Amino acid sequence: MIPVYVLTGFLGSGKTTLLGRLLKSPEFARTAVIINELGEIGLDHDLIETSDESFVMLQTGCLCCTIRSDLVLTLADILRRRDEGTVTPFDRVVIETSGLADPAPILHALMSDDGLAERLMLAGVVTTVDAVHGAETLGKQPESVKQAAVADRLVLTKTDLIAESPSALADRLAALNPSAPVLPACFGDIDPARLFDARIWDPSGKLTALADEPHQDHRAHDHNRHDGRIKCFALIRDRPIPAVALTLFLEVLAEHCGADLLRLKGIVDIAESPDRPAVIHGVQHVFHPPAFLDRWPSDDHHSRLVFIARDLPREFAEALLDAIEAEVRETTRSD
Amino acid sequence: MADMVGLVHRLLMASLTAWQVTGHVQRDADRITLTAGARSLLIARGVPPFRWAVTVAGRDRGVTSIAGLLRMVRRVVNPDHQTSRLRIAPSRLVPP
Repeated sequence: MIPVYVLTGFLGSGKTTLLGRLLKSPEFARTAVIINELGEIGLDHDLIETSDESFVMLQTGCLCCTIRSDLVLTLADILRRRDEGTVTPFDRVVIETSGLADPAPILHALMSDDGLAERLMLAGVVTTVDAVHGAETLGKQPESVKQAAVADRLVLTKTDLIAESPSALADRLAALNPSAPVLPACFGDIDPARLFDARIWDPSGKLTALADEPHQDHRAHDHNRHDGRIKCFALIRDRPIPAVALTLFLEVLAEHCGADLLRLKGIVDIAESPDRPAVIHGVQHVFHPPAFLDRWPSDDHHSRLVFIARDLPREFAEALLDAIEAEVRETTRSD
Repeated sequence: MADMVGLVHRLLMASLTAWQVTGHVQRDADRITLTAGARSLLIARGVPPFRWAVTVAGRDRGVTSIAGLLRMVRRVVNPDHQTSRLRIAPSRLVPP
């Protein structure tokens, strides 16, 4: 499987600079890059130098609007050319979105296309945030909030232009996406290993970060202070969840909140699989099949479900899971 | 034994908030009354195979699950909502 990384971030936040630096590093050789730019004439692809082993393709138009056709066709095309030997046999793909793109449909398309699923695997989302203007942008541009909210890694760019770390921005990012590490980068200088070591299925990432927090209440956390419609919260359960309850829960969430569910990740103690937790991941109403780990990654065996969603109150998710679990247990008893 | 009516009462209150529907949910012993604008539903435990009984506009209907109950409630209080169905991605979460 070839990993696909999505590099996103608002206009001028330093995506192309970061990508340019990354592509010069030997660890990042054999990378296929798809750059999306708004407008009919793109420039960014001309601004990026690559090693001989990597290549850049340009796609114009708004990626999130034309996603079903253009991105899928482009990816299928580079896979075909890789098979034919007419392009470098790349080991990874990076999709740089336009600064105005909503990343959710892009993730959605990467997960849901049958043809691509056999060859490509969504591996992570990296979002650049401008250290100088980031706080203001988050306040004014809803796309930038979504871009930060779905990230596995947040890269704080242009840190050379500020005297000290912007605490307001750091607070904002922590509230919006508390478990994505924030990595500073000056002129795109960053260790690629730190940037692309995220795996959406890797429980050592977001979920551990949440699990490491002191638990005042083991049932739920709310990390939101002032970020309006998009919220991140976690449900933590201390009892195993029956598999059918989890399935029903996800079905109802998809039915009633699918469009607003930007991302849901979880490690779940499935009642029928006590030694092998299930990792789940979904974008909007599309979910990967659960992946069962060989063992629990830590001593914490609580189920942890991390939601990043728009207009989805934690109370709804919590009440829904409570009710469905109780119904499943009641049904099981009466059988 | 869980208080299923209590759990559903709480869920319906949270649902109205999540759906941004102005309304009121009231529990009276084993019955729940949900009112949103001019629409009203009466919800109680059902007779097997139906787990829930819903009365809407004088008509009684049986529902087999909480998922079905929420679907029915939403159709009544929020008829313009476009639902989406859970889709399982063909792509795997971990490499084979």
